[in-house]
Amino acid sequence: MTSRRHILKIAAALGLLGSMPALAAIEEAAKQARSADDLPKLSGPLTVYLGRGEGGLYDDIVKAIEKRNPDLDLQVRRAPSAALANTLIAEAKAGVSRADLFWSIDASSLGAVASQGNSRPVPKDVSARIRPAFRYDQWAAISGRLRTVPFNPDRISRDQIPAHIMDFAHTDLKIGWAPAYGAFQSFVTAMRLLEGEDRTREWLTGVARQARSYAGELGVVMAVARGEVDLGFANHYYTLRLKQGKPDATVDIALTNNDAGSLVNSSGVLLLNDNPLAVDFLRYLLSREVQSYLAREAYEIPMVSGVAPPDGLPPGIHPPDVDLTRLADLQPTLDLMRETRVL
Amino acid sequence: MKRLPLSYVAALPVAAAVLAPIGILIWMSIGADPTLGGRTWEVAANTLALTTLSVIGAIMIAVPLAVITTCTDFAFSRVWVALLAAPLAIPSYLGAFALFAAFGGGGEIESLIGLPTPRVHGLFGATLVMVLYTYPFVFLATRAALQSLDANVVDAARTLGLPLSAALIRIVLPRAANGIAAGAVLVALYTLSDFATPEIMGFNTYTRMIYVEYNAFGLDRAALMSLQLLTLVVLVLLLEARIRIRRERPGRVLWLPLSGVVQAISQMAAGVVFLFAVGLPLFVFGLWLAREGVVGFEVEYAINSAYAATLAALGAVLVALPLAYAASAGWVGRLCERATYLGFGIPGIVIGTALVYLGLQLPLLYQTMALLIMAYILRYLPLAVGSVRASTERVDSSLIGAARGLGASPAEAFRRVSLPMIAPGIVAATALVFLEVMRELPATLLLRPTGFDTLATYLWRVYEAGYLGQGAVPALALILVSGLALLIMLSGETRRAVRS
Repeated sequence: MTSRRHILKIAAALGLLGSMPALAAIEEAAKQARSADDLPKLSGPLTVYLGRGEGGLYDDIVKAIEKRNPDLDLQVRRAPSAALANTLIAEAKAGVSRADLFWSIDASSLGAVASQGNSRPVPKDVSARIRPAFRYDQWAAISGRLRTVPFNPDRISRDQIPAHIMDFAHTDLKIGWAPAYGAFQSFVTAMRLLEGEDRTREWLTGVARQARSYAGELGVVMAVARGEVDLGFANHYYTLRLKQGKPDATVDIALTNNDAGSLVNSSGVLLLNDNPLAVDFLRYLLSREVQSYLAREAYEIPMVSGVAPPDGLPPGIHPPDVDLTRLADLQPTLDLMRETRVL
Repeated sequence: MKRLPLSYVAALPVAAAVLAPIGILIWMSIGADPTLGGRTWEVAANTLALTTLSVIGAIMIAVPLAVITTCTDFAFSRVWVALLAAPLAIPSYLGAFALFAAFGGGGEIESLIGLPTPRVHGLFGATLVMVLYTYPFVFLATRAALQSLDANVVDAARTLGLPLSAALIRIVLPRAANGIAAGAVLVALYTLSDFATPEIMGFNTYTRMIYVEYNAFGLDRAALMSLQLLTLVVLVLLLEARIRIRRERPGRVLWLPLSGVVQAISQMAAGVVFLFAVGLPLFVFGLWLAREGVVGFEVEYAINSAYAATLAALGAVLVALPLAYAASAGWVGRLCERATYLGFGIPGIVIGTALVYLGLQLPLLYQTMALLIMAYILRYLPLAVGSVRASTERVDSSLIGAARGLGASPAEAFRRVSLPMIAPGIVAATALVFLEVMRELPATLLLRPTGFDTLATYLWRVYEAGYLGQGAVPALALILVSGLALLIMLSGETRRAVRS
């Protein structure tokens, strides 16, 4: 792996994500990112529903937590986040409760379960450690996923790429996208919330004229690297992971400015009952060790101040202000995408 | 009043159990908004086109392979049968992704040897993948049918002056039609319910709409669309029901020597099929593995997979036997048997969710191994029923009568007369269910005991996260475990033939 970052780099990186001056940020970091060493020991039975697993990276975290806490009897159930959300909703309807905590990779699954009213609010002292822009009553943000514009530098230069997501509908660039992919639909939902239905409909229609569809966003990034398209829309980590395996891949990341195109969606945790162990487990996920591991190995954006973001992200991340819980409202988005024949 | 056939006692409850998830789908779909935009017809046409082409392609590959591995002195035929059936254990999304990554401009083949290859995508790409990963359905079912064929008919035809090739086409194939059709139905239903392949190949089918709804928490709409898809399933079943052939007395197994040239060409053809279906994904994922390195694979996953698949395969065959007998006993039995096919045409994630709702009614069973195995049996019963039926239909009651008349007990008559005749069907049934369970994912994810990981769930974990290289190890393990299991099953296949 690449070398660890130094304080200056941390400060610079923090400057990208928050508006705090660098030095204050470091002081704040010392206060906010707790080490796992300072956390209460976990003991007793705990069942976690874990949406996806990032190829075993989340398992490494789970294993590390288990190793630290030999008395913890941890059961982990992995499945796609949406499938677990649907399962949790079914369990709630049948009055069956098996999980203490739901760790989902996307906010919309958390929102869908929370809307059933079976979750517990996040304790104040826990949410106080999370970046202010990502504090929610119902769930705790763990790590961020940034919307990006992967582009092929052999085909286009960075300055040919529009700075605003809405302008992509008026270019003649060849675009790759993955309309059936959950993260893409969340992004369109954010656009719908920020820009309104009419402008989103225009955008979908406009981009569809020059778009080529792919199955997932890894497929989009691969297509960009292969030069099938000029650029694409994808979560940031697919590019970083592709480059990890293939450092000479011809793909770079561009960002849009303060709009749905630079949405930071978040993985997060929903507490499903009053088991205090679940809250303590959540504290571990927000510890400095877990947060920096997520950034380093999974290329995810830490949600606790004072932890360096992943290597390889361009400067100038300006995410829009969106209530991520509202991203669960996908049906109107699907209707729009069908109407414009994108889906 | 006519007496109720004994087999109905077992067949009716099984049919009820199989229909229960579909009943739940109907309940789930209540209140769903049925308007799906203007694309329904286009999507239905795409789905039909893909299904038809996949069936034709699978038959064209599988039937010749079945003939040469069953009826000729094809060298290493047992090993070849195991290898040629192995693609059934590989999830089709892996194959789809491997083809997608290997071919086309900038693909792995071009970057390795500089040879430009055409892009594999669209209807063609989806058909290619479906054919490569479903032809073993037809292959195994046809083999079972060929093993029950009477070679004397072929000899008679040839004595009357028909050349061998014409005899194969005009005498052998029509008599294997039951087996071919049973396999073809499975290809069609698998294609109807598969999501990942058309999605990766950029081809819009019905399952894609269903998945999008499911992932957007629109369970009611996903259920409703699945019920609409059922009309296509019923259409396929009606078509197959039209292909019936007369029952024939069993006889000597057909046996043809191959000339050196035909032998060589056949070996090469089998090799090419295996190379595309199994070699290519292993090669592509191996490349990625070399770039990324192995993390976190445990042998336990392979053991879990084999354990669950064995239990499910045995259970499915046990349940399938009375159903297959019931199907020959009358129209009610026939309906019961047909009912088992319905669930196979519905996307796994939807039927899995229906089973979650069903399992939640039995909280003691929910998230236990027992429920998971029951789910596998319900879902893969048609694989077993089709193969078993093709062979039970050959059992002539007069033969059993003759054995009994010669003083055999009912048990002995079954063991020495019926069983040898249905054995090929049972082996094929066990193999089909075993292999299919090995690659099953959606229902496994939803219903397994918490913490129970299989090769397929591990593959999903690394694939979903974009760590494709790590898929090489479980994919290889899938092929090894399936190959070994198949060899064991095939050694149990009694060569009852008296070769002349």
